[in-house]
Amino acid sequence: MSQTNRIDGGLVNRNQSYSFKFNNETMHGYGGDTLASALIANGVKLVGRSFKYHRPRGIMSAGAEEANAMVQLRTGAYTEPNTRATVAELFDGLEAKSQNHRGPLGFDVMAANDFLSPFLSAGFYYKTFMWPKALWEKFYEPVIRASAGLGSLSGENDPDQYDKGFLHCDLLIIGAGPSGLAAALTAGRAGARVILADEDFIMGGRLNSETHTVDNMPGSTWAETATAELYQMENVRMMTRTTVYGAYDHGIFGALERCTDHLFDGSGKPRQILWRIYSKQSLLCAGSTERSIAFGNNDRPGIMMAGAVRSYVNRYGVTPGKRVSVFTNNDDGWRTAIDLKAKGIDVTAVIDTRSIPAPYNVPNAATIMGCRVIDTVGRKGIHTIMLSSGQTMKTDCLAVSGGWSPNVHLTCHQRGRPTWNEKQACFVPGGDLPVGMSVAGAANGDMTLQSALTAGHNGASSILSSLGMSDAGSKIASASEESAKVSAFWHVTESKSRAWVDLQNDVTTKDIGQSFREGFKSVEHLKRYTTLGMATDQGKTANVLGLAIMAECSGKTIEQTGTTIFRPPYTPIPMGALAGRARGKDFRPFRLTPSHKFAEEKNAAFVETGMWLRGQWYPIAGETHWRESCDREVRATRESVGVCDVTTLGKIDIQGRDAAAFLDRVYANTFGTLAVGKVRYGLMLREDGIVMDDGTTARMGEHHFVMTTTTANAVSVFRHMEFCRQCLWPNMDVHLISATEQWAQYAVAGPNSRKTLQNLVDKEFDISNEAFPFMACGEVTVAGGIPARLFRISFSGELAYEIAVPTRYGDSMIRAIMQAGEEYNIVPYGTEALGVMRIEKGHAAGNELCGTTTAANLGLGMMVSKKKDCIGNVLSQREGLNPEKPLQLVGFKPVDTSISLSAGAHFVTKGAEATMANDQGWMTSVAYSPILNHSIGLGLIEDGKNRMGEIVTAANPLKQSSVDVEIVSAHFVDPDGDRLRV
Amino acid sequence: MSNFTFVSQPVLGGFKQECKGVSIIEQTKLGIVSVACPNDGDAALAASIQKAFGCSLPKVSGVEVSDSGTMRWLGLQPQQWFVLFEHSAEQGAPLATIKDELGDTAYCTDQSDSWVSLAVSGPLAITALERICPIDLHLSVFPVGTVARTTMEHLGVIITRTGDEEFLMMSATSSADSFLHAITLSVKNITA
Repeated sequence: MSQTNRIDGGLVNRNQSYSFKFNNETMHGYGGDTLASALIANGVKLVGRSFKYHRPRGIMSAGAEEANAMVQLRTGAYTEPNTRATVAELFDGLEAKSQNHRGPLGFDVMAANDFLSPFLSAGFYYKTFMWPKALWEKFYEPVIRASAGLGSLSGENDPDQYDKGFLHCDLLIIGAGPSGLAAALTAGRAGARVILADEDFIMGGRLNSETHTVDNMPGSTWAETATAELYQMENVRMMTRTTVYGAYDHGIFGALERCTDHLFDGSGKPRQILWRIYSKQSLLCAGSTERSIAFGNNDRPGIMMAGAVRSYVNRYGVTPGKRVSVFTNNDDGWRTAIDLKAKGIDVTAVIDTRSIPAPYNVPNAATIMGCRVIDTVGRKGIHTIMLSSGQTMKTDCLAVSGGWSPNVHLTCHQRGRPTWNEKQACFVPGGDLPVGMSVAGAANGDMTLQSALTAGHNGASSILSSLGMSDAGSKIASASEESAKVSAFWHVTESKSRAWVDLQNDVTTKDIGQSFREGFKSVEHLKRYTTLGMATDQGKTANVLGLAIMAECSGKTIEQTGTTIFRPPYTPIPMGALAGRARGKDFRPFRLTPSHKFAEEKNAAFVETGMWLRGQWYPIAGETHWRESCDREVRATRESVGVCDVTTLGKIDIQGRDAAAFLDRVYANTFGTLAVGKVRYGLMLREDGIVMDDGTTARMGEHHFVMTTTTANAVSVFRHMEFCRQCLWPNMDVHLISATEQWAQYAVAGPNSRKTLQNLVDKEFDISNEAFPFMACGEVTVAGGIPARLFRISFSGELAYEIAVPTRYGDSMIRAIMQAGEEYNIVPYGTEALGVMRIEKGHAAGNELCGTTTAANLGLGMMVSKKKDCIGNVLSQREGLNPEKPLQLVGFKPVDTSISLSAGAHFVTKGAEATMANDQGWMTSVAYSPILNHSIGLGLIEDGKNRMGEIVTAANPLKQSSVDVEIVSAHFVDPDGDRLRV
Repeated sequence: MSNFTFVSQPVLGGFKQECKGVSIIEQTKLGIVSVACPNDGDAALAASIQKAFGCSLPKVSGVEVSDSGTMRWLGLQPQQWFVLFEHSAEQGAPLATIKDELGDTAYCTDQSDSWVSLAVSGPLAITALERICPIDLHLSVFPVGTVARTTMEHLGVIITRTGDEEFLMMSATSSADSFLHAITLSVKNITA
C-alpha cells in the first residue's frame, strides 16, 4: 500500500523508510512516525472494534489519551495487547494487528451486539443472567469472559527484560512542552540538578504539532534548539519516552522509561525501566488534553480530535482526510482549519456552536456559526455529516474540539481535588498539591503559548529561589499571539442517534442519563455503573464530558458534581515493569551456607528456609525416596556420627558491662549466673507473655556473650534486642552486632562425635567429657591453628557439639570434619534428619513456637524466673494464659503403629465427633522414627502431662483421616538425657 | 592431625570484571572489625584511637583514615564504627589488629567474614548503581569520604565512596551471589 495520505512537511525523517505490517498487510512509513500516523499515511481508517458493541473505530487522537486505536504489537511471546497506536513509535519490521473482533476486522460477527444495544445498556449485566441460576457458572460467565476484554495475551512467559532504578534531583519537570522546556532552560542554566521527563520520543510537546513561532522561529525549531542546549548541560538529565505516572509521598515520583519499545530487537537490554525519582521540587508541565463533543454517531472512523488532526498534518506530514470539516466550541478548533488550508487540504466547513462572529477567516470553507453536527454517516469511515441547520455535507474527516482539559492527574494523586474554572470551561489544579509540586502551562490553565512559556520560566525561577538559587538571568521566550476563547458545550441535544461520551467503554449520553435515573448519581457511582472513565485511557477525553452531562441531569453545577478520584498510574504500566528483575530465580535474593558447594557435590536436595538454601537430605546410590536417605542419616548419626550445617542459626555477639543484666531482661530465664565457658538454653518471651524464640547463649567472657537464635527469627530477635537496647534501656552498657555471617557452624552429633572432633581439634585443647562437659563452650583451634569456637550442645539428643570457624574456612571445615569422621562412617545429614531427631528427642521448634504458645504450654514454665523481671514475665501470668487445664506439649504414638500421623490433626476424645466444640488441641509435628520404626508426633493437648497412656483420636477432616493415638512422653529417645552427657 | 587442608576462600572466588566503563573487583584481603564505644567511654576511645592510629572518630556517615593511610574508619551508627584494613589470612585473626590496640576502651567484633566487599569503579559506575542503589550518589551529596547503610535488591549494603568514581560496597557473605548478580546485571543493562 502506498502512502496515499502522506503530504509535505512534518518532522518525520523521509530518508529513513520503514516497512511494517498491519493485519499482515505490508505498509511503509518513516522514522519519526507513530503507528497511527503511518496507518493514516497509508489510508487506513478502520483500526479496531469497540469494546461492547464492536463498532468500527479509527484513530481519534495523537497521544496517550487514545481510546479507539488499540492494537496488538509484535508477535509470539512478545505480543503486547491494548497498545495505543498513537504512542507506538514506528520501527522497521513492526507488526501490529487489530483486536476485539471475530472474523476479519471489516466483518466482525460480534458487531451483532450493536444491533442488540437496546438490551446492552449501562449496567445490563447487573440485571440479567440471573435465571436460571445454574447457567451462571456453566454458560453466562464463560461467554461473558470470552467476550470481554480487548486484546489477548500470548499465554507465554514475557521474554523481555525489565529493570528498575532510582534518580535524584533538585527539580523534576514533568513534560517537555513549551512550559517544561522554558522551565528546564531556566533551572538548568542556573545550575540546578534537573530531570526533564516527557512521554514522547521527541521533546517539545504541542510545539511540534502547531505552527506557532517562538523567538521568531517555528515552535518546533525552538524546541529542538532548547533541547539541544539542555542536552549539553551536565546538570540536566533528559528523559524522553518517559512517563511520570504517579506522585507519591515526600516528592517521590514513579516514572516508566520505554527503552527498546521503538526497536525491532532490544538486544537483551531492558525493555523498560521503572524509575523512582526523588525530587526536592517538581513542576508539572503535563499540558492538556482535548475533549470531544457528544453528538450522534460521533465515533465513526475519521472523526478525531481537532488538535490531533493538526498533529498529523504538521508533525507527521500526513492528512487524515481529503475533505475535512471542523466542529468546535472554541477558537483553538479553528486553527485546525487554518493549518489544513495552509497545507492545501480542502476544508469543507467549520461548524461552531457559538453564535458569535467567526474568529478567523478560512478561505473556501463554509463557516457556520451557532450550529451543531447532529449525526454522521459512514459505517467504516465517515462520509457525511448532518447539521442542526438541516444541511448535509460530504466530508471524510471531522475534526472535533470541545475544549481542552488540563492534565491535572498528578496534582490529585494524594487526594487533591481540582477546581472548576468557568471561564476556561475546565478543571485546573486546586487544593493541596503533592509536597513540593508546582504547576505551569496548560496543565495549570495557561492555554496560550505565551502564557505557558512565561509560567514555565516563572515557575522554575520561584523554585530556584526556594532552593536558594537564582535564575541566572534567563529571559522569557516570546511567542506568536493566539486566541483561546471557549464556550462550554458538551453534547448535541438534537441528536437522535447514540452519542458517545467514552469511546473506549462504549458509554453514551443515554447511559449517563440512565445511570442518573436509576440512582447512580454520584460521579463515583456513575463510573462504576457505566464504566465511564475506566480501562487504558482512564477517560482522559471522556470524564469531563461525562460529569458535565451528569451535572445537567442533576441540575447541579459541574463544580458541585465534582470529579472521580485520580489515581496512579497516569498511563498503563506493564506488569513486567512492575516486577522488574524480580522473576524466576531472581525473584528474591538467596543465601548459601558455607557448605553449599560440598552439599551440591553430595547431591543434596535443597529446601528454602527463608532465603537460605539448606541441604534437606543427601541421597546416596540406590536411594530413590527421601525417606530412605533421611532414615539412613538418622540411624547413622544415632549409631555413630553425623554432621549438619547449622550456620543458618542467628548469631548475635553481645558485649558490655551490662551484657549479663541485659540478657536477664530479654530472656525469661537467668543468665547472670552463667559461668564463663558455659552455654545455657534460653527462652525469650514477647511482651504479651507468648514465646518469641529460643536458642542457646554462650558466655565467652565476663562481658561477652554469643547468642544463637532460630534460623527463622534471626532478624526479628536482633531487631527486638536492638529496640530493647536503644529504646527501653538506653543507659545499659551493652552492644550488639550480628555474627551470623561471620562463622561457619556445624553440628557434629552422635556417639562418635567427640572422637571425630578429637581428630580435628588441635591437641592442646582437651575436649574430653571431663574437661569439656555438656554445655561447655570455648575458643579452640583446629587443623594446626585455624581459630574456632566449640560448643557442647545438642539438638539431636546425642552426644554432640557445634563447632564454628570463620566463614572463609567453611568449605574446608565441612570436608575436614568428613575426613576426621571417616573412620566412624560419618554422614552429612540434612534438615529432614535434623527434624526427625529433634522430634524423637522432644525438642520444641518452629511448629511449637508458633506465636500462640506460652512457656507453660511447652513444659518450660519453670524457666520463667520469678526472681527477676524480664520481658513477658508479667503478662505470662495472665489468667487467660494459665487455665486450669492448659495445653501441654506431649508425645503421641499411633495405636496401630503401621499408620502414619499427620501434623495439624486435632485431638478429640476417642469416638467423639471432630468438631470445634470437642477440640482438645492439635498435633504440631510428626515424623517417622527410624529408631522406633513407626510414626511419632508432638502435640499440644489439654492437661497432657496428666493423661499419659490415654487414647485419643487425632482427627484430620482435611485429609479425612482419623487415627487413634496414645499420649506419651515427648521424649521418645533417651528421656533421661544420658547420651548427652557421656 | 596435620593432614587437613584449610583454604581461606574468597566469598566470590576473587571475582574481577573490568569492562566498558565499570570495573568490579572483589576485595579479598580486607580485615573488618566492628568497634563499639562503651557507655561514657567516648573520650577514652577517642584518645586510644588517636594514639594508636593517629585519627579521630568519624561521625555517623563519615569516614576517617588513619595516619598511615591503611585504615578506614566508617561511622555507621551512633557509638559504632567499622574499621577496614588490608589483612590476609596468614596474618592471623584480624580482630587482634584492633583489639590489641584499643584494649578495654572498645568492644570489638570481627566482621571480616561477615561481608563480601566489592570495589565498583569507573565512569559508568554511578549509572550502573542507579539501577539498584536508592541513595543519591551525586558528588555534591555523597562526596568522597562518606558512608551509608542502605538496601539494594532487598540486601543490606554498606556503601562508601573511595574516589570520584570509586565505591566500596559491602553486603552479607551468605547472599554474595545475589549481591554480585545485582551489580553485574546493572552493569550489563547499562552497557552496550
